[in-house]
Amino acid sequence: MSRLADIPIRIEPSVAVEPLIPVGGLGGGVVAILSELVTLLDRLVGGESPGAIDVRSLPMSPLDRTELQRALGAGEVQATLDAQGRSTIRETRVSGVWWIEHFDQQGELIAEMIEVARVPAILSSAPDEIAASARDLRARIAVACGTPMGGGNHAAHQ
Amino acid sequence: MNLLDFARGPALKVALAVFCLGVTWRILGFALLRIRRELSKPRASLFKTMAGGALAVGTRSWPHREFIGRTGPGEALGYSYHIGLFALILLFTPHILFLGSLFGITWPGLPSSLITVISVLTLTLFLAVLFRRVNNPVMRMLSNFDDYFSWFVTMLVIVTGLAATAHIGAPYERLLGLHILSFDVLLIWFPFGKLMHAFYIFPSRALNGAILTRRGAAS
Amino acid sequence: MPLINEGLTVGENLRLHGVSRRAFIKFCTATASAMALPPWMGTAMAEQLRHAPRPSVVYLSFQECTGCFESLTRSFAPTVESLIFNVISLDYDDTLMAAAGEAAEAALAEAMKDNFGKYVLVIDGSVPTGAGGAYCTSGGRSAVDTLREAAKGAAAIVCVGTCSSFGGIPFADPNPTDAWPVTAIVADKPIINVSGCPPIPEVITGTLLQFVTTGQVPDLDEHRRPKVFFGNTIHDRCYRRPFYDEGKFAKSFDDEGARNGWCLYELGCKGPTTHNACATIKWNGGTSFPIESGHGCLGCSEPGFWDKGSFYAAQSSTEWGKAGSPSPRRALELGGAAVAAGAVLGIASAGVSRSRQHQSERDES
Repeated sequence: MSRLADIPIRIEPSVAVEPLIPVGGLGGGVVAILSELVTLLDRLVGGESPGAIDVRSLPMSPLDRTELQRALGAGEVQATLDAQGRSTIRETRVSGVWWIEHFDQQGELIAEMIEVARVPAILSSAPDEIAASARDLRARIAVACGTPMGGGNHAAHQ
Repeated sequence: MNLLDFARGPALKVALAVFCLGVTWRILGFALLRIRRELSKPRASLFKTMAGGALAVGTRSWPHREFIGRTGPGEALGYSYHIGLFALILLFTPHILFLGSLFGITWPGLPSSLITVISVLTLTLFLAVLFRRVNNPVMRMLSNFDDYFSWFVTMLVIVTGLAATAHIGAPYERLLGLHILSFDVLLIWFPFGKLMHAFYIFPSRALNGAILTRRGAAS
Repeated sequence: MPLINEGLTVGENLRLHGVSRRAFIKFCTATASAMALPPWMGTAMAEQLRHAPRPSVVYLSFQECTGCFESLTRSFAPTVESLIFNVISLDYDDTLMAAAGEAAEAALAEAMKDNFGKYVLVIDGSVPTGAGGAYCTSGGRSAVDTLREAAKGAAAIVCVGTCSSFGGIPFADPNPTDAWPVTAIVADKPIINVSGCPPIPEVITGTLLQFVTTGQVPDLDEHRRPKVFFGNTIHDRCYRRPFYDEGKFAKSFDDEGARNGWCLYELGCKGPTTHNACATIKWNGGTSFPIESGHGCLGCSEPGFWDKGSFYAAQSSTEWGKAGSPSPRRALELGGAAVAAGAVLGIASAGVSRSRQHQSERDES
């Protein structure tokens, strides 16, 4: 039984890729996505909230997808998240644009986002978790030193 | 029971039954008529008479040379949409499977996208045909309810079929239900109007040709 | 699983089960993506649910085969979807809960009382009403009575599977237990039908998650199924569609056409009239779906699909009689009777015409 995915795709080599984004020769679909990213970047610069594009909601051929990845390029930051499966967060060559892939524990891709933000939201730690960790750490230090720390915070939270 | 289940369940059964009943009625109704006794001497043997009849079916299927100028366009139009209709009825796989389930035999069909093209062409020709009937003064005078209604019912089947394949205008099941329902209406109307020409023309031409051949006249 | 760790928020409960905040964000992002919701909704869902108490869910199973429940809970390995059980507080489910007998019934009564007006009632299985409802009883109470009682305090009812949505296999001709779908029994509560035999697990969890997060019923089609999953037919999204358009059909199972992956229309595929997400989301974590595995769609998420003729007869072929393959003999009998009747009328007409012909001939001469 033949599947769409078995049909071989030949990717035409584009013009020599420079460090800057090559805009000549890109398909219309890719240019549309890049335009939307520009809009989101402008909004971010203007002080509004970060935005994201769901890659899986876009009708892209595998060729378009590769073109888009090459157009955005690779940045300096790569992060791996281990939470109920792996996630990879890669900064692209375009500052503020991050490519995020979420995998489940069997390695299946479950979501793919292009996020426009200073730092992708999933990377930051949450304020309530930070407060809870501070309490925990204080308690652990207290236990380690054998004396309660001053300041009225008791080793209560576990 | 929704529209689709009704259209291809009880409605189809009734329609096919009425079709079988009506066609049998009308065919026997004319086949059992008396043929006027020929009092003149036969100019051709029985075999030649029958051959003449068969030949007449062919010769009467196209106008005589003298009349082609006047009737040619109308004939061409008529033939074109008939061919288009037969192609899309008999060479579209879902139709083939429907007929196969009735008669037990199937045959290969054309690519469905080609059928869509043929259907659109046939639809255009159908509209042209109505236009001609309404604009030509002679045709307008000759036309009656039977002509217009037969046209309308056939047109409805084509339009709903195209809408269903293209998924335009309503959810697919409703379009398919309308298509099959309009086919049911066509089946019920068929034996009682001018659509019966499908069964009449060949016997009629053959009979006339045979009689004229027997008399030694040109047919 | 249920009733322990009461009073914890969803986030706290998740952490107790080793699911971090980020893992939960991943889960919500994936679910939002599958439901074609905008990306920010995934994060918003996660953030909102995290701080909320676990929504109470009561799962009642009636005249069912447990396939829907298996679809939801049985997976090869813990999947992201199974996280739904950490999000919701499954206060009653007779398959999963440890309690049994009186204790279980007491748990149900307590859950319904404590969360009156707020719990999500999930139903699978049809509701038989024959013999006073005796065909399906639990703890001495009939399914129909239990349903009516449980519906009173429900915020909404989610019918999982074709049996609870449309009646399913018990409802099929001749319906000996007089089974009905939930919508025929309960009229005054919002009802969402997640049909399918069984439904795709992601569809169940996505619908539940969206409802418990937003508290709102999603956009529903005319059969009350979430449009986001049931808006398209299988045919609309089938990867074999190019073969349908080209007229390349497999004629029998495992013939050359079938091996080349051609369209299964002639083998009875009901894809064109079946609304579900099988062609996009697929089954077993995106592994495959019936057509990809070489078998035509049964139409299992549509009402009355058991009674729509053979699974192996092409959709455009005729079907005489209910719940079975076309019966040629009946067609011949019907056709024969019609022809006979027509013959009688034809002979009668001819008789009348002939006598008129005779009359006119006599008049002429």
